[in-house]
Amino acid sequence: MKILGISAHYHDAAAALVVDGLPVGAVQQERLSRRKNDAAFPLEAIEWCLDSAGLEPEDLDAVVFYERPMLKFDRILVSALCAFPHGRGAFAHAMKNSLGEKAWVRGLITAQLGVRRDRVLFTEHHQSHAAAAFLTAPTRHAAIMTTDGVGEWATLTVGRGQRTLNGPTRIVLDREVRFPHSLGMLYSTFTAYLGFSVNEGEYKVMGLAAYGQPTFVDQVRKVIHSTGDGAFALDLDYFAFHTTVARSYSKRFVELFGPPRQAYEPIDLATPDGRRFADIAASVQAVLEEILVDMTRRLHAETGLPDLCLGGGVALNGVANARILRESGFERLFVPPAPGDAGSALGAALYADRIHFGNPDRDVPDHPFWGPAVDDAELARLAGEDGLPVADLDEAALIERIADDLLAGRVVGWMEGATEFGPRALGHRSILTAPHDAAMRDRLNRDIKYREEFRPFAPVVPIEAADRYFELPPGGARLARFMSGVFPVRPEWRERLAAITHVDGTARVQTVERDMAPRLHALLEAYGRRSGMPVLLNTSFNLAGEPIVNRVVEGYSTFRRSGIDVLVAGRSRIVKRALAQASPMGPNEPREELA
Amino acid sequence: MQSPLSSVHRWVWRDARRRANNLLRFAEVEADGGRDLVRAAEQTKDPLLRRLFLVHALDEQRHAGLFRQRGLALLATLPAGRDGDGRTDWLAPGERGLDDLRVEQERDGALLAFLHLSEKAAARDFTHYIAVLDGDPPTREVFEKVCRDEAFHMNYTHAQLLRVAPKDHGRLLWMARLRRLWSLYLRFAGALASVIGTVVLTVQYFVFLPPFALAARRAQRREPEGWTPIAAERNGAALKRQY
Repeated sequence: MKILGISAHYHDAAAALVVDGLPVGAVQQERLSRRKNDAAFPLEAIEWCLDSAGLEPEDLDAVVFYERPMLKFDRILVSALCAFPHGRGAFAHAMKNSLGEKAWVRGLITAQLGVRRDRVLFTEHHQSHAAAAFLTAPTRHAAIMTTDGVGEWATLTVGRGQRTLNGPTRIVLDREVRFPHSLGMLYSTFTAYLGFSVNEGEYKVMGLAAYGQPTFVDQVRKVIHSTGDGAFALDLDYFAFHTTVARSYSKRFVELFGPPRQAYEPIDLATPDGRRFADIAASVQAVLEEILVDMTRRLHAETGLPDLCLGGGVALNGVANARILRESGFERLFVPPAPGDAGSALGAALYADRIHFGNPDRDVPDHPFWGPAVDDAELARLAGEDGLPVADLDEAALIERIADDLLAGRVVGWMEGATEFGPRALGHRSILTAPHDAAMRDRLNRDIKYREEFRPFAPVVPIEAADRYFELPPGGARLARFMSGVFPVRPEWRERLAAITHVDGTARVQTVERDMAPRLHALLEAYGRRSGMPVLLNTSFNLAGEPIVNRVVEGYSTFRRSGIDVLVAGRSRIVKRALAQASPMGPNEPREELA
Repeated sequence: MQSPLSSVHRWVWRDARRRANNLLRFAEVEADGGRDLVRAAEQTKDPLLRRLFLVHALDEQRHAGLFRQRGLALLATLPAGRDGDGRTDWLAPGERGLDDLRVEQERDGALLAFLHLSEKAAARDFTHYIAVLDGDPPTREVFEKVCRDEAFHMNYTHAQLLRVAPKDHGRLLWMARLRRLWSLYLRFAGALASVIGTVVLTVQYFVFLPPFALAARRAQRREPEGWTPIAAERNGAALKRQY
């Protein structure tokens, strides 16, 4: 069967194609439209999925949308009614917003793709998250938890999944926490309060938290409390997201935590306000972790299963994930590379395949590389047109050359194979550098990423060597496969890994298995032979405000506009002209670039 | 030449907080424009245009930095307070020419014509702002720096337009003018429709919805906190339903 999954309209639209039970392509719309977090109906992503499989829309057996739009509309409408008479703004906004396009998804899909109406299906939002987490994980029987801002009504669900190879699949979600009580909305409210963009700045809150002390925990516990049955509830007097679109927190919230940060104000940790913001970030992070650990501990006791699959946007919180792994009792924690709404496109397609159509289970390849691939010849063409010398090298020579570059302290833009599905660069669209010097971190922040100094960079390490440098609990290496956990750097290595060690001594490490990314693995080994330490700094290949690069031309334009020294795409390598001319006598410098 | 709107400009730029907020919003607009130019550079097949668009994009990025830096410096001199008394950037547009342009759908000639007119308009507006910023030399200096770049952008886009469309440049410029006018109309019509829609929906909200609001509130009160069981039939329920 050929099934297309779609997520769209709220944040991070995406499309995924499943053929005979296996994904053949998945890509976020932003990577193609070049608009960060593009939520528009993902026509370009759909076209790419179909083109790459050589299919026409009429070949599809089903098109599955990742949530039920009318149920979502019901929630939006009821929320505006409950806020009467204060919800007039939210009501008008919701009506204009939903009735324009978002409520008529079936018609939109049939009109855009020309598929028959009866082939358009809808999963529930959290079913899509659950399927994305469980059906892509290498486990047969696992507990499932999904948690995000909100889907239709559910904001958090728990249940379990069971699958038999070539046999039936079951995903049963037992219970849910309903809107407006939401861990995702709690975290997003603090994100907005701290002056960051919602659905984008949550990483910044997590990074900032490490600089603070959780001195506001009692205040945070006032705005969210545990319910007797092991769930949680928000005190809605402190929030406004359920009544207005203008802001997410109320005056009482400001009375409790003090004046919010304006988006334009830089965070200066030397000032009392800067420290207050860091302390608030640390406090909400601590409370979120407490709640998640408590809920997963109960889920483990209830199911007795060794594995937990975690989905939804909150699963991007690597600090919380690491605590869940350490403290919940689960032996293994699986977080997919795209746990948020983009990944739901794949989840929806897999859910329809296994559950709705009852097709036999198949193991989904355990990697994140489902997007468009690099065109090996493109870099040579672009560089040639601009008069830049290009070196086309064989695989082994290229790896050795790049390892030399990294050892020389160069910043390398690295593009290979298919792009990652999900928000993280896991070695196919990455900026790589040596991880040893804090000055490198500052250079990256200042000259390349143009971002706040409190945001950490991540390391990448071969799985065989990970335990030497990082304190990974049992199951930690697996969680680090898609950079989903934050773990301590071993104290004896922190000084030599200064560029990737966060202020609290941790790092969001990625472990690489040879099978998943052989080229990156080989590069790490080559670098390890030179430096004695097979660890690199790995950050996403993009500049501030832009999506991760997809095509070579996007990598090339990023290279031209930033402080990246070397660009690799496929087997081609180019360097900045000034760099090539500055070190002509270096033993590792390629002669052909000096022409 | 003095702008007929100079008294409006003077009012807009007089207040320091308003000035700071406008500069910070200009920074966003310049950064967005820079991203569009990067996209244009990535789309074009013409190597010379690619290089020029990338240089242009870097200029926009630098302008964003200048505006942001000055806006923050101004804010730092002001007592902490609310975020200005309403937005006035619509009265003092920055370089927002690209905001309604789908770069990937444009041919090089049409894009150059559009860019040329945008840069020209921005240079004209910035000159007017310079004329009313006597009391704030550092902000004036920022606009002067940006204005010099706008002159270069205006010239190179025109020169390149002549190169890529030697016989057609006049028509392309007129088309771009008409498109700017059309997009202005669309923006105005969209804003008007939005206002009318909001008024109608607000009236409906207060006239027709109170009984439903009452019912919704009652239902909300009945809803327990904490876990809600998921009915068995929802698992694997028919996926044809939108609700």
